[in-house]
Parts: sequence; C-alpha cells; structure tokens
Amino acid sequence: MSFVPGQPVTAVVERVEIQKLRQGENLILGFSIGGGIDQDPGQNPFSEDKSDKGIYVTRISPKGPADLAGLKMGDKIMQVNGWDMTMVTHDQARKKLTKKREDVVRLLVTRKSLEEAVKHSKCSYPKH
Amino acid sequence: MFCRNQTARATVARGSALEMEIRRGKFRKSVFLDTSQDSDIQKKIDHEIRMRDGACKLLAACSQKDQALEAAKSLQTCSTRIMAYMSELQRMKEAQVMQKVTRRSSDAGPMGDRLPCKGKVAISDLRIPLMWKDTEYFKNKGELHRCAVFCLLQLGEEIFDTDMVIVDRTLTDICFDNTIVFSEASPGFELRVELYSCCSEDDYSAGSTPRKLASKLSSSLGRSAGKKLRAAMEPGPCSPVSNGGGAPLLLPVPSVPGPKYHLLAHTTLSLSHVQDSFRTHDLIISGNEECSYWLPLYGSMCCRLAAQPHCMTQQMMSGCLKVKQQCGGDPQSWTKVHAVLKGTNLFCYYRQEDVEANVEPAFTIGINKETRIRASEKDPLSKVQNICISNHYGGEEVTHTVTTDSREETHRWMEAFWQHFYDMSQWKQCCDDLMKIELPSPRKPAPITPKQGSLYHEMVIESSDDLSSNVSDILARRMQELELRSQLGTSPTWMSAFEESNARCTGRSRHCTRMSGHSPCTPHRLPRSPVSPHRCPQLGLLSSDASLTSDSDSHCSTSPCSHHHGWPEPTSSYSLLSSSPSRLRPRTLSLDAKLSTLRGRGYGGGGTFQCSCQPPPSSLLAPLPISSRSPRSKHSTQTTLSCSSSTSSNSSSNSEGSHSPESSEGGPFSRPSPARRSLRNLRARLDPRNWLQSQV
Repeated sequence: MSFVPGQPVTAVVERVEIQKLRQGENLILGFSIGGGIDQDPGQNPFSEDKSDKGIYVTRISPKGPADLAGLKMGDKIMQVNGWDMTMVTHDQARKKLTKKREDVVRLLVTRKSLEEAVKHSKCSYPKH
Repeated sequence: MFCRNQTARATVARGSALEMEIRRGKFRKSVFLDTSQDSDIQKKIDHEIRMRDGACKLLAACSQKDQALEAAKSLQTCSTRIMAYMSELQRMKEAQVMQKVTRRSSDAGPMGDRLPCKGKVAISDLRIPLMWKDTEYFKNKGELHRCAVFCLLQLGEEIFDTDMVIVDRTLTDICFDNTIVFSEASPGFELRVELYSCCSEDDYSAGSTPRKLASKLSSSLGRSAGKKLRAAMEPGPCSPVSNGGGAPLLLPVPSVPGPKYHLLAHTTLSLSHVQDSFRTHDLIISGNEECSYWLPLYGSMCCRLAAQPHCMTQQMMSGCLKVKQQCGGDPQSWTKVHAVLKGTNLFCYYRQEDVEANVEPAFTIGINKETRIRASEKDPLSKVQNICISNHYGGEEVTHTVTTDSREETHRWMEAFWQHFYDMSQWKQCCDDLMKIELPSPRKPAPITPKQGSLYHEMVIESSDDLSSNVSDILARRMQELELRSQLGTSPTWMSAFEESNARCTGRSRHCTRMSGHSPCTPHRLPRSPVSPHRCPQLGLLSSDASLTSDSDSHCSTSPCSHHHGWPEPTSSYSLLSSSPSRLRPRTLSLDAKLSTLRGRGYGGGGTFQCSCQPPPSSLLAPLPISSRSPRSKHSTQTTLSCSSSTSSNSSSNSEGSHSPESSEGGPFSRPSPARRSLRNLRARLDPRNWLQSQV
C-alpha cells in the first residue's frame, strides 16, 4: 500500500459508517489512530511497508461506535467523509475525524484481507 | 593463489580454468598435495564453499529483511573463512617446500627449539560504545537510520562470528553477548576483531549510496519500485557487490542483490591484552560519514579477553617420585608419591588412584615463576641425581628434594620442568592464576528487541565498565581483607548497603551460574527498601560472585553483566559474612556502594527472589530463569531499556519470585510464551512515546 509518486494509488476499500456517540459534551468514535506524514513510519506495527505514512487504526474500544460499525484494528484509513487521509499530518487526520458539527463519519478503510478476499473471489468464479 | 608443487613447480593461476576445476572438485587438490593436513584444509574449504553457495541462494530467495541480513552475514563469514583457509594452505605448502629444501642442505634434526604449549583464548562481552550527535535525538524525528552489525573474530585459522545486532540511534552501545572460545592458540596469538555493518534500510539496490540519499530513496521509492530497480541493476558481476581486487577468492563473488556488509572498524588483540577482567581497547575505524554503513563509534571497544594455557589446565607430567622427608630423623627416608605437574603446582599423591578419586594430595609443592629447580650432585648411594625445588615462602627458602628411580626418569622430569617454566614465561600473566572461561551455553535464544523509545525517555544510569570494574576490584580486595581479619558477623557498615541493596539487575541469567548467592533472608532487614515485602533480596556478598538483587524501582543498570569475572575466586570463608543476621544497620550509600550496585548482577529479572534462608544449593548454577513479566510492568520495561542490550527488562515489583522455566541465556529480556509475546510486542510498539496516537 505504498505509493509511487505520479502513479495513482489503488486499494480495495471497505466503506465503514460510524455514528458518533455523545458522551457529555464530546462526540466520540471509539478508536485511536496513529501515523501521519509527520510521524515516524517505522514505528507503525500495522503497516506492511514501513515507509507508509498513512493513518492507521491502532485501537478499538470494545462495544464502541467504531467496533459496532465494523472497524478493525490495523485498518488504514483512506478517506474520511471525502477528505483524503493518505497524505495528511496526524493532527489534520484527527481534526477531520472530530468535527463537532458532524454526527457521522464515513470512512473508506483498507486492509490486507480485503485484497485477498477479492483475489479469492476472482479465482473462484472462473470464466466459463 | 599459487600452489607450488615441489616436483613440477606448477603454478595454478588465479581464475584460471584449472583453478575453477579444482574449486569444483573435479580435480582433487590431492593431485598436487601429498599430506593429509592439506586435505584436511581442503575439506574445510569445500565445506565453506558449500555453505557460501547456500547462503547466496538463501539471500537471493528471501524476502524478509532480517533473513537477508542474516544470510549476508553468513556469506561474509564463509568468505572470510575461505580466505583464511586458502592462505593457511598456501603457507603450509611453502613450509613444506622450505623444509625439504633445508633438509637437503643441513642434517640437523630438530634442535631443542622449545615450543610453548597452546592454550584456550576466550573473548566475551564485547561492547562498543557509540557517540551519537545530539541532533540525532532531538531534532531528527524522521526515519530511524538502522544498521545491522556483527563482529568477526579471527585467531589463526579459526574464525567465528557473533550474532547480528540492529543498531539505531536509541542505542548507546553495541553489545554482543556471545562468548567465543578459540581452542588452540599459541602465546603469540593475534586475535583480530572486525566490526562489519550494513545499512538496514529498505532498498538494497542502491548498494552503498550515501546515507542521506539512501533515506531519500527509501522514502520515495516503494517496495515494488525498489524491486524493479534492483532487478534492472542486476547485470551480474559488475554489481556493487563484487569483491575488490586483492582477495584470493577464486570464484567471482556471487553477485546477489541484497545487503552487503562493509568493514567498519577493526583491532588486533594479543597476549598483552589478556586479563581476567574487562579492558578497553582502541578501534581503528574505516569508512567515513558519507558511507551508508557508517555508525558514529566512540572509538574504543570493551571486552574480556581471557586465556587458559594448557599448562595451567592439563597435567603436563606425571609419574612416580621419591620425596625426601624434610623433618624426618632419618636422612635416608624417602616417601614414594605419585606426582602430577599441573598449573602452578606439583601435586603429590600417595597413590595414583587418588588423582582420579579427587582426593586431596598428600602435599603440594609450588612451581611458579619464582621457583628454582636444579639438579644436585649425584647421591652416592643411588647414583641418580636429585632434583632440588626451592621456593620462597614468606621470607624463608624451602627446598624439597625429589628423586626418581632412574636417570632417564630424572631427565624426563627436568625436561618437563624446563618446558613448564618456558610455557610460563611465554604465557606471562596468564600463568599467575587460572582465568575462568565460561563455555557458551549450547542454546541460543533469539533476542527480542522491542522498539526503543527515544533516548531521553530512558532513565538509566550507565556506568562504564572500566570504572565499575576498578571500583569493584577495590571493594573486592577490601572485602577479602575484612574476611580474613574479621570473625562472624562483624562486617563494616558499608557492607550493609550491598546486602540490602537493590541493585540493578541485568538480566543475564547466564551469569547467575557464578553466583552462590547466600541470602541472609531476614525480612526485617528490609525496612528501608521500597521493595514489596514478599521479595527477599538475595544477597550474597560481593566478595565472590555475590549477587545483588534488583531494585524495586524500575531502573536497571546497563552495565554488561559479566562483571563477576572481575571478582576474585570464591573463598570459602565468605559465607561467614552472609550469616550476620539480625542486625539492623543503617543503610549507607557511599559512592562506592552506589557504583557497585549499579553494576548489577546477572540474574534474570525478578526470577531470583528466592526466599531461601540457607545458601541456595548448587542448583543455582543452572541458569536462573527470568521471570515472566506481567504486562503492566512492561511499560516500565521499555523506559529502562537503554541502549545497551545487556540490560534486562526491569525488575519491577511485580515479580513474585515466579519463575518461568525457560532459561534464556543471552536474551536480556523476559521471554514469555509466544502468544503473549506478540501481544506484548504490539503493546510495546503502540507506546505513545514511540509513536503518537490520538483517540477520537
């Protein structure tokens, strides 16, 4: 999932819609993110390519909104409500996720198993 | 490489077809050889070539970075070994030629050219300090520049490599835990230590690009692009991997795309560097800052180089002797003994069976550098010369007179004594006392190095080897004096600091084998320690292999753990001091004590909190297990993992003396079960100090 400058980035993504949960005066999503173009990509335990500076999900609160929506630990977030997350700083990512006026965030996330699922599905339906 | 055949004087040129055929084994080298020694070396060469081919294949096939680095390391080792065997072969050939030549010209047999005995040389606990610039820590938040390093140690024909260590800017020292033992070394040995390093970024295709460029490349090229680039750049022999000139490697070095190690520093050690404790040696550094494999070395290396000449460990001579009674009334009374010459003593047993039975000898005559031996005039009665052995004990001279049954025997004994003296003069300081060499344990656990935080998060006090070994030597000597003088229980107040204190623990369980940790485990001695009450500090005494328990706060010392080598031999009387029971002594933390406690003792983490109130049995000699750590303690573990990988994960107060049965020898960190390990690993890497995370 690394990119080549000048080439489009392609990935198989899953759409995850998370309803924010109101806790007091906060709206929480129930997960934690790590990564960003200003962070050290080598420290990312989830990324396959250690130069990938994308935003990854590092923790999911059990039974929280993200968990219920199907977000998994280790997912890489590609878009949030249409905003790109592949080339943002950590703080920019956090801000896009925690807009107070938005009750719901629609994420596009990718993970290794998605690619494999697609590959398998392609194989199991050979052309007749 | 020229291979001179003395009859045909045929030379086999490097790279020639014949040479290639020889390498491939089509022609046995024995066509040109006529001794079995050579074929021995030839077998070794063949073996190494096979290993090298295997390593090349592995390197080409593997995809993981770690595997590639390991394979490249084996490749480097095999290449070096091949070179060494080749030169040895060449030397032997030339020696044969010379010998045949000289034999023709002179008829002298081997004159009494004494050869000193060989010995074992062991090098252990190598530690190479690094000197990072402060800009590396504080400003450089970007990629961590990592290098993989290992050491090659060469003595004569034997070449060994250490394990590979990944070094980045969070380490302050490169530590190699291995003990390398060379078995046949002559006193004039030269032990060459070479440090190889290889940049461990993603792309190897660029070969030895300068570091800045390499890091730019690695962040701009993805893995797939890198692979393509690498494939494109793989034309074969002209890849950057090819060997420079001058090497007697016969095959063109296989060009494998992959990591290649470069020589970063080297040094040569010899007999004058041998000592029973740690010493610092200078390194000669090759390479400069622009190289991709560069590491900022401080310029020195600490290690322990010990030697055991065979004259100290083996029986040099044994046989029957008759010893004249010193104080016997009858001047003709001789005692028949079975004498064994070993080390600095001539042990005299009443019967030969006693030697095997490990019975104490009847008496012992010292044979050391000050001893004088001469043959006296013929005894008028027996017509055999006596041998007089004189020693100085204190102020007086004590002479033992021995004789044998026949002149040949006397001659043999004299010869043995002369040889022994010669050995001792050649091996110099190694013959004063027997140096301990620990045999490396057969198990080699893979060390787990969790990612370290940045250095200023660590809160460890690093004590340098030399300083602490000096201090502890001084302390040890004082302790010994005190033991000799004092009776039970009257040790000085500063002893209490050692006994109670909570030293830093270094998790090397291997070093536990040297501890006979007598623990005066009286709970009320722990009033001041913040340790949780069920932990009994084990304390032996410093005088020999004493071990200090680990501290309750989460600090660990970083000193490499085989400091016990610096301690004198265990004396039996030291148990006296440990049994001083019920006295509450004020805890004095003099500088001495503090420094010594920092040295820490090798035991595995908290696993040593045995509440045994009698001296633990020799089962302690088995490597002590490192207790598994609870997850909570792990966070503090990371903070204390300072750079020198010899520190253990800490001994925070969670260790309840529970031992996990594994005895990890080299690994300084706790080793729980694999499942927990991965979870723990993950948690370690998700530490916010390492990698920023935000909750949303």
